[in-house]
Amino acid sequence: MNAIPVSKVLVLEESPAHLAAIKQFCDANNLVGLKVRKNRLMSVLRSNIDLGAILFSESYGGSAQDNADIALRIHTVRPELPLILRRDADATLDGVNESIKRVFCAAYTSDDMSTLQKVIGEYIFSVVYPNALVRGITEITENVLSGQFPRLTLTWVTPHIVRDRVIFGEVFSLIPLESSWCRGTMMLQTEENAVLAILNQDPLFPESGFREVNALLGEITNLIWGAFKNRYIGDIAAASQIQVPIIVNHKHKYISFGTDNPQLCFLYTLTDEESGASIKLHQRFIFNLSWAPEDFKEIVHDSSDLVDSGELELF
Amino acid sequence: MAKILIVDDSSTVRDEVAGFLKSNGLDVATAVDGKDGLSKMKSDPGIKLVVSDVNMPNMDGLTMVEKIRGELGNASVNVIMLTTESSPNMKERGKAAGIKGWIVKPFKGAAVLDTFRKLAG
Repeated sequence: MNAIPVSKVLVLEESPAHLAAIKQFCDANNLVGLKVRKNRLMSVLRSNIDLGAILFSESYGGSAQDNADIALRIHTVRPELPLILRRDADATLDGVNESIKRVFCAAYTSDDMSTLQKVIGEYIFSVVYPNALVRGITEITENVLSGQFPRLTLTWVTPHIVRDRVIFGEVFSLIPLESSWCRGTMMLQTEENAVLAILNQDPLFPESGFREVNALLGEITNLIWGAFKNRYIGDIAAASQIQVPIIVNHKHKYISFGTDNPQLCFLYTLTDEESGASIKLHQRFIFNLSWAPEDFKEIVHDSSDLVDSGELELF
Repeated sequence: MAKILIVDDSSTVRDEVAGFLKSNGLDVATAVDGKDGLSKMKSDPGIKLVVSDVNMPNMDGLTMVEKIRGELGNASVNVIMLTTESSPNMKERGKAAGIKGWIVKPFKGAAVLDTFRKLAG
């Protein structure tokens, strides 16, 4: 598995030459460039999650007025996403119309992509996630999901760094992660009907409803949290007791942890090969209270102490 | 018939473990947290084995075991922890309270059924 996270960026660019340069840049910088038809831009922005940033051309949309209107609408819909302006001549925001200047976080020209590289480093890959941690999270989650759904096929995509705050599906769980090197939250998000479709085929969960979905998601969260804690946290308590409010806006399906820090996101898909039904599970790690990857370490247990999960250790 | 008490705040786990044990002919009761488990222990002397989670709201599993031994003065009921926890400190605390064993979730019924039967004897 690739343990180096990637990030999805929406590319709003109409010039074939610039598109080619941006694609090359994305390929070389762990970015996945996404294009969208202009007439679907807003609906995609409202529904698409897991984005890291938007690369926006100063000629996108036609006239200067149209271009400004689009930029403003993007910022209104997704203010948390860095909007990076590609300009023809100047790699700064100097001279940009004052009415829209505030919506951009930075500018670049395709003559010198090193500027864009710095911006990406600052706004997307600003938080270091150790490869061992990224790989370990996937292993832990794979074990839990395979154990919980032995009949289903499990697949996942390369972990990605996201800036957006849009909630996927209708149900999500949150659990705090507290250690000497990290303090934050793990969030699991999924779609209720997809889980119900799978649950209702299981004789253990006859006539399941939303409470069974909640309970199942809660238990999966608990199992992942327990394994994470055993592997990376142990008995070392977090020194700080600082907390910040977590804000959920149901109307806009938006959740904020009080920080702009990019989040580490994983996406797993469980598929019933017979019926074709599938569950998508979005897993996000938001280390909003404390993050010291330099102190990250995996807990090495004495092999004589190890007991396989599910086995009874008698005292 | 001796009864087994399953204590877990997750209905998924309660249903899974209780369903498995019942389908194998065992008598089972359930509790939603340590406080509820303690209450069931007080009221039902037929319980001979407690299978309990550790991390639960209201009262955690280890505190419940300590109260079963202390407040209820019940030194004979067998207790097994079924939990995501595996830290040595927690296990030591469990041993000090006289638990019989520790299972790191997930629950694999077939692997523990015979032992559960003996302990519920």
